[in-house]
Amino acid sequence: MDNAEASFYLSQFIGKNLRIHTSDNRIFGGQMKCTDKDRNIILGLTYEYRSPPEAVIRQSIEASGNPSAPVSWNSRYVGLVVVPGTHVRKIEFEESAFGKGGVVL
Amino acid sequence: MDPKMDGGFLQPGETLEDNYDTLKALLPEEVLGIMDQLLCHEMAWHTGNPLSQTLFTSVYIDKILWPEPKTLEQAQFYRGEVSDSRRPDLLLEVLRAYCLALIKCCDFVIAKVTSRDYFEEEDFCTHTYNRVLFVQVPIDVFLRELDVAVESLQDPDLSISADLCEAIITRLEFRKHFLTALDLDCPLEHLDRYWPPISSHLSSINSTYHLGKPVPGSFSTKIQRRLASTVPPRPIVELDFKDAFSKLQQLCLDCEEGTRFTHLSPDPLEYQSFLWAFASRTPTPLPYARSYLANILFHPNTLNTSTTLPLTDLQCLIFTCSPVLDPQNWALSPPLNPLLPKPLRHQLALIIDEFIERTGQNYLELWTALGQNRSRLRRMLNHVILGWDQLQVDANTLDEEIMAVVKEMQVQEQVLVYPLTTWVYHKKLWMIEKIVMLGFEQDIYLPDEFAGMYGFLERVARRRVDLLSNIYAHYEEQEKQYLRAKPPKLEMAAEVEGAARYIESLLAEATGVCELSGALFRFYTVLLYLRLLPTPNRPFSTPELRYELRMKPFLTLSPPEVPPFEEHHEQLHGFGPYDNPEPSLLLALQNPISELWKGIEDGIKRAKDSFSQLKKLGPKAAKVEGVDKAWGKEVQGALASCIALGVAVVGIKTAVKECDENGKVAVKVEIPEMGSGKRYAEGWVVGKVVKE
Repeated sequence: MDNAEASFYLSQFIGKNLRIHTSDNRIFGGQMKCTDKDRNIILGLTYEYRSPPEAVIRQSIEASGNPSAPVSWNSRYVGLVVVPGTHVRKIEFEESAFGKGGVVL
Repeated sequence: MDPKMDGGFLQPGETLEDNYDTLKALLPEEVLGIMDQLLCHEMAWHTGNPLSQTLFTSVYIDKILWPEPKTLEQAQFYRGEVSDSRRPDLLLEVLRAYCLALIKCCDFVIAKVTSRDYFEEEDFCTHTYNRVLFVQVPIDVFLRELDVAVESLQDPDLSISADLCEAIITRLEFRKHFLTALDLDCPLEHLDRYWPPISSHLSSINSTYHLGKPVPGSFSTKIQRRLASTVPPRPIVELDFKDAFSKLQQLCLDCEEGTRFTHLSPDPLEYQSFLWAFASRTPTPLPYARSYLANILFHPNTLNTSTTLPLTDLQCLIFTCSPVLDPQNWALSPPLNPLLPKPLRHQLALIIDEFIERTGQNYLELWTALGQNRSRLRRMLNHVILGWDQLQVDANTLDEEIMAVVKEMQVQEQVLVYPLTTWVYHKKLWMIEKIVMLGFEQDIYLPDEFAGMYGFLERVARRRVDLLSNIYAHYEEQEKQYLRAKPPKLEMAAEVEGAARYIESLLAEATGVCELSGALFRFYTVLLYLRLLPTPNRPFSTPELRYELRMKPFLTLSPPEVPPFEEHHEQLHGFGPYDNPEPSLLLALQNPISELWKGIEDGIKRAKDSFSQLKKLGPKAAKVEGVDKAWGKEVQGALASCIALGVAVVGIKTAVKECDENGKVAVKVEIPEMGSGKRYAEGWVVGKVVKE
């Protein structure tokens, strides 16, 4: 991918909802605002999701006796944030009900 | 990832949740301790800290509020089902009732503060981080919870020591009364009933504090991670119980004082002096107390009077018994034929109506400023005077019309020349005086600027004296006219006389300010020549630029109040430059009856006479009946400042006589610091002469 192609590819995601998984097992879901060569990403209107601690999972499985018992994730609104590139593990693109929103993957 | 930047970042091994168990049974002294800790946090919030660092650090409060309860029954220290053995015991239920009421108190406080002008994060933090503080739940639900808690504690079978039980009940009762007083829908006429019962509980809360045992574990910074905020957890604000208690006491006292507003006679000038006195209270009232007063002031019942407040003000100062404000003027209607001229009296009514409508906004701005804390009051007044300056221009146009109409009506001699302008100008000058005085009060000016600023104050006050003398002469004339009329109009004469007393009081005050500031200006100029005031090294500024900076708020005013720099400079340097004064200076200084000293001493004497006269005329004439004590103290402070200045002048005089051949004197001047209680009046800074 040359520079122009890459720029085109990345700029399609501006304003789209992304989910970024970070190295400390949190997920940030928000609108992509911009990025740079170090993969730092700015998200707007972001929510932070955190997987419940193991103890809680174990407890709810024991309590219900069902190995696939649902455990709710903690979430909170954090607004506009920068996710440092070194900690980004995985980026997911959220497709809306109306398709891919014109993004060419 | 940086824990300083990222609120959600966990150190290795750190958990998000706190493992404090809110269902663990508590000892009675622990319940007492937590209640007092919560009170400390509540007061820390009142003094301006965010909820996230104060009340929201309590695990108990957090459990009640999150996940958000749909009903009050859900608002427990647990969610969902718990086994019977884990059910909260009686003491936890008591604590829950206290917490619920506390949360509702916060809700009321936020609602009241946000309903009036306040500055988020400067005065007060109203942010609730997406937690709903039972906005929808009515107050009686909380009162009932508290009542149930009190009843359960009064059970004779209870195995709790009597003092502890009593102490907990006192806190519940206090919370109940406090919540009732904070309620938003208290009727205005009964406001003063709500605060005395609270004060009666305060002393026993203080005396039983030592019985409690704090539970530090029930407060945690971790909760901040779950609040809707990007700010990383910040430390819990720890306010000592002693400080928190004095804040609470002060809050109750200030609010109680605020309720006295409802008993004032409906007179805007009384209101104004009340607001001024309230803002001058030390320690300065907390944001809640200020909004409390502002809510009473801007309550529709206060503002909706038969004559609008600016009109009452105008009538009192300028138009007592004047044909311009004759109620009959408003009874006339315009002629049916639009080509015919309107009746003259009707024209007057229209002009006045137009003017009053125009003043409304400016009036409101002034009152809003008076409801702020002292520092902001000074800054806001700087803006308010600009509005009044514009108003003065408009008043001038309307005055021309009034003068034309009264001329045609041939009642010219009954109306002051340029009445509306006079009124606006008087108010504006009063505000400028207050701005300068507040500057002294808040140590805005450095000692070597005192002379210049007091000189400016003298100048402004002198204008106000001239203005008031005109009005006074006019009223005197009016009174004579009414008495001379056949038959004498005694009623009207009496009314004019009453108004004249007010003008006389204002005049005495303005003269006092003018003379005392004049004397201080001359005194500090002498000190500048004697090099007795510290003069900082200012490599990057010139006297001219500094002067411009100090005068900035007043530069655009018309008529101009600020003298050009050359004139100002000349005033301050009557005997040439400070480092090389003319020889006549030493002669004048060493001669105790020289013009220089006589000017100062006569000024002090005149100031003293004026303030004494003001005192003699009393609070009724000054329209400060609601706050006569505070007013009396202010006048007394001004009088004491005159005396202190007299003493200082004598000190300098003696020192100058004994000075060496270089004109070096063996004394130094101590400037009393702001708020140290060493000034007799905060706005009158009188240096103290001490032997070296």
